[in-house]
Amino acid sequence: MTGNYKTWPMILLLGIITVPLVLMYVYLFVDTVTNSAPGSLVPNEITGEHWRFLWQTLPGRPSIWTATFNTFLFATVTTLIVLSVSSTAGYALSRLNVPFRAFFLAGVMVLHAFPTVTLIIAIFLILQFLGMYNTLIGVILVKASLELPFGIWIMKGFYDTVPWEIEMAGIQDGASRFTVWHKLVLPQVMPAISALGIFSFLAGWSEFILPLVLAPDNKVQVLSVYLAALIADDNNFDMALFKSVGVFYVLPVIVLFLFFQKRLMSIYGGGTKG
Amino acid sequence: MNGSKSLGLMLLTPAIVFVLLFFVAPVILTAVFALTNMSTATGITGGAYQVTQSSLRKLAESYGQAELANTLAETRYTVNEEGLEAIAADGADARLVAEMRAKLGGRSFEKRRDLESAIKTLNSRPRNTRALKALSDTFHRSIVNERFESADAMLRATTNLGVALSADQKSALADATYTGWVWTTQNFTRMIALPDTQRTLINTFIYVFATLAIFNTGFALVLSIATHYMPARPAGIFRAIWLLPRISPPVLYVLLWKWLAWDTGFLSNFLANFGVAPRNWLLDNPTNAWIFIVLINGFVGASMGMLIFSSAIKAIPGSLFHASEVDGASRWQQIRYIILPQLRWPILFITCYQSLSLLTSFEYILLATEGGPGGATEVWALKTYLTALNNYAGNLEYGYGAALALVLVVVGVVLSLAYLKVFDFKTMVRPPRIEQ
Amino acid sequence: MRILLKNFGKSFGAVNVIENLNLEIHDGEMLALLGPSGCGKSTTLFAVCGIHKVTAGQILFGDRDVTHVPSQQRNVGVVFQNYALYPHLSIAENIGFPLKIRKESAAEIKRKVHEMADLVQIGALLDRRPAELSGGQQQRVALARALIRRPDVLLLDEPLANLDAKLRLEMRSEIRRIQQETGITAILVTHDQVEAMSMCDRIAIMKQGQIVQIAAPMEMYDNPVSDFVAGFLGNPPIAFVDGALTGSVFESSGIRIELPSAAQRNGGPVKLGIRPENFQPEFPQKVSGEVTFVESQGRETLYDVRLDDGQILRSIQGHAVRAGVGERVSWGISPDNILIFDEKGARL
Ligand SMILES: Nc1ncnc2c1ncn2[C@@H]1O[C@H](COP(=O)(O)OP(=O)(O)OP(=O)(O)O)[C@@H](O)[C@H]1O
Ligand SMILES: [Mg+2]
Repeated sequence: MTGNYKTWPMILLLGIITVPLVLMYVYLFVDTVTNSAPGSLVPNEITGEHWRFLWQTLPGRPSIWTATFNTFLFATVTTLIVLSVSSTAGYALSRLNVPFRAFFLAGVMVLHAFPTVTLIIAIFLILQFLGMYNTLIGVILVKASLELPFGIWIMKGFYDTVPWEIEMAGIQDGASRFTVWHKLVLPQVMPAISALGIFSFLAGWSEFILPLVLAPDNKVQVLSVYLAALIADDNNFDMALFKSVGVFYVLPVIVLFLFFQKRLMSIYGGGTKG
Repeated sequence: MNGSKSLGLMLLTPAIVFVLLFFVAPVILTAVFALTNMSTATGITGGAYQVTQSSLRKLAESYGQAELANTLAETRYTVNEEGLEAIAADGADARLVAEMRAKLGGRSFEKRRDLESAIKTLNSRPRNTRALKALSDTFHRSIVNERFESADAMLRATTNLGVALSADQKSALADATYTGWVWTTQNFTRMIALPDTQRTLINTFIYVFATLAIFNTGFALVLSIATHYMPARPAGIFRAIWLLPRISPPVLYVLLWKWLAWDTGFLSNFLANFGVAPRNWLLDNPTNAWIFIVLINGFVGASMGMLIFSSAIKAIPGSLFHASEVDGASRWQQIRYIILPQLRWPILFITCYQSLSLLTSFEYILLATEGGPGGATEVWALKTYLTALNNYAGNLEYGYGAALALVLVVVGVVLSLAYLKVFDFKTMVRPPRIEQ
Repeated sequence: MRILLKNFGKSFGAVNVIENLNLEIHDGEMLALLGPSGCGKSTTLFAVCGIHKVTAGQILFGDRDVTHVPSQQRNVGVVFQNYALYPHLSIAENIGFPLKIRKESAAEIKRKVHEMADLVQIGALLDRRPAELSGGQQQRVALARALIRRPDVLLLDEPLANLDAKLRLEMRSEIRRIQQETGITAILVTHDQVEAMSMCDRIAIMKQGQIVQIAAPMEMYDNPVSDFVAGFLGNPPIAFVDGALTGSVFESSGIRIELPSAAQRNGGPVKLGIRPENFQPEFPQKVSGEVTFVESQGRETLYDVRLDDGQILRSIQGHAVRAGVGERVSWGISPDNILIFDEKGARL
């Protein structure tokens, strides 16, 4: 950005292209608390009726709170698994003399780029065999596994930036490799761990296909499947209700995004799927 | 001390277990399942043997055993030991039993009337017709709709019917009546033969190339260059807005587009002011459906390129920009000669990476059009999903679906190996500096 | 604690970095490992502290063979070039870390940390984080951390490289003081000859994985075994003049010098090493040339004099400038202090 060119043409150009996107998101929020006359785009009354799903269970659906709880459980446990497994494996690959290290590294790298959805049929059948179909734990394990290569990759990259001398100093001070990792190195990569944690949580919170295929049952339903089923139900078309559920669903995401925008941008820019 | 080695393995073990269970095993199993005809009908564990109308039809058509099929389809009356014991247990006259065993034992009758007339010729025949009827019913034998746990059990039952089978017929019958899954290469011949496949392939290419070219690289470039020429604040706001589609859960994000496109939605309402009749823009015709599919995916895809290109532009030394401005370069020349050359590698990276993920993603299409209208937007990955896992269709064809998925898996493996080549793998595997 | 490296060798895969190196460091001595970049100083140091595995030979601490003993059990304190302080721990925690690993009591740790902090004079900084310290202070913390568990050996890998000139001077004497106070055996890795000469009891000069000479600093300065050693010590550096030695007369196309007694040779090519302080106006053996470069260093002035055949001699003299660039001078060489090397660089 330099002072020699006018900036307003750029802002104008991008502004025009961005209008539809802004409109969609603005109306998402506006429509949940207002009504407008048919055919009109301007709201004419404020109402709370679209939020009725919070206190009354919609016919044929699980309670929104069950779904919320399931989603939270799903996202949190997935995140915990991803964090613990990738922070250990990432360290081993970055710093330790593991046998077949090059092979593992290549493996992680390939898997990191590998499109996981293509495996879903086999995974579906595996869960059937294991008797974990329609359970939260099954879909959690699957989601965590599929996120792992990315997590390990990111963590390995962050461990690589920790100066070797810190580890050497730790060893000279008499600490075992495990202590060095856990007391000296892990604290250095805390920012990475929190970024990966937020990322995994959001990924879990938003996940749709896996729960849809692997745990569609009402008892274990997550919000994404809940909302999709609501929208797909042709008998009860109510856009304002869909949007209200949608806002309820997206709110934690937006909050996390606003708070951790910088960290998320660094990790989204770091070569994620998409 | 080999502390580092064993600690390393220990720290890696959980990751290895997860990867084996949910990456390696699925890849292998996809290949295995692709060679079966597994479906909801066959189940995923073993099957049973059952003579049904359809298996008899199969026996006649696929195995050329029309005669056998007809024989089996008929209801038969066979006097055998089993039946004789049954009537004895029911309290039939011992003389009658003995006489039947002697005179009719082993004989089969096509109709009950035939058996009844045969019994009537006996000396110790039952007096009244009702008893006669009950008696002959006991000898009623048919295996239609009966389930057998093994082929042997079924063949024994067939023999009991009084139908003698040749070895050929036995194996044909066993094959035709097996309800479980079997090994087959038919999935692949079917994939190649179906005109549908070609259509899907074309759709997939349209989808990947249009999205990739227009948004994931093209528009991402526009975004990153435009924000580069802006003050920090508006640039940050634009980047945050364009990141929204990516962080929004797909279900919600597609809902927003539906609101925009549906016949009571924003677009219809808005265009009504200009006399355009309201309609569902998302599904009314293939062209519009495609436009929306590309937009929906593109708005999500643009943000990754935007972030990567932006940081690449940020890495260009400021002095380069200043120098070129002093030299009197126009903005367009600056973009052309300074920015774009620096973005060659990032663009290659984005293209490689996102073509792979676009090729295999179907989430947004599933949510938006489900492949419609009339399969116009059905891409390979979506077809795979719909074949094997969509519940409306009734019969889920796991085998055929796995064969379709296998194509993607192979493409995925090849492309991600290529991805490995693009990267500087040597520096990645530099040996650890602490040698314990 | 005496340290002994016996036939020590180290290779990285196919790359042989050090072969058959023998080195003894006496108890309580501070030895400098001096040499150009890439000669294997750090590699030797890493082998002594156990970060690298030795590929050949033995390492002994006293009589204990530590060749295959892991770092953690060698009891070696190391100060790294970039100090390697733990950024997330306070200074007190940094210094106390080795004791915490040994599970000493909190009170004991606190007492020793304070004692150590007083020794390196950073008592007031204990609650800060490393990032809030200056380079010199970080250096002291690193030293304190290395010393707190009373190691048998202290290793310093270019400890002063990251400091500015003034601090470097200060820390030089500081490290020496602490080493002498604690009486610890120390190895100092450096490629700064001034550092090596001013801080250490002996210097070992390394070149391409070999030790060329071990000696006390002044002994080495006066009696280098080769032109490499002579060139490495001394600032401004020694000047070399090529020529031939006939009897006791050195001759090249530019100069002719009577050498006192030294080695005699008939017509063989040799190389004379003449230190700047031995090329002065008042010395007897006059040679003449043209001043090509004058650099005033404040207290002293450095001159480059080009002889008639193009070879350069250097002279360092007192404050007053005696000649300007382009001027012809005829200054003398002190024949007693001339170093004579054969054509391969070995001292005659
Ligand atoms: N891990 C390694 N693999 C291969 N070669 C190495 C490795 N580490 C060091 N070397 C090589 O060994 C030689 C000695 O390296 P070392 O680090 O000991 O040099 P040094 O004397 O400490 O130099 P400096 O003064 O620059 O620190 C160098 O040529 C270096 O390239
Ligand atoms: Mg070094």
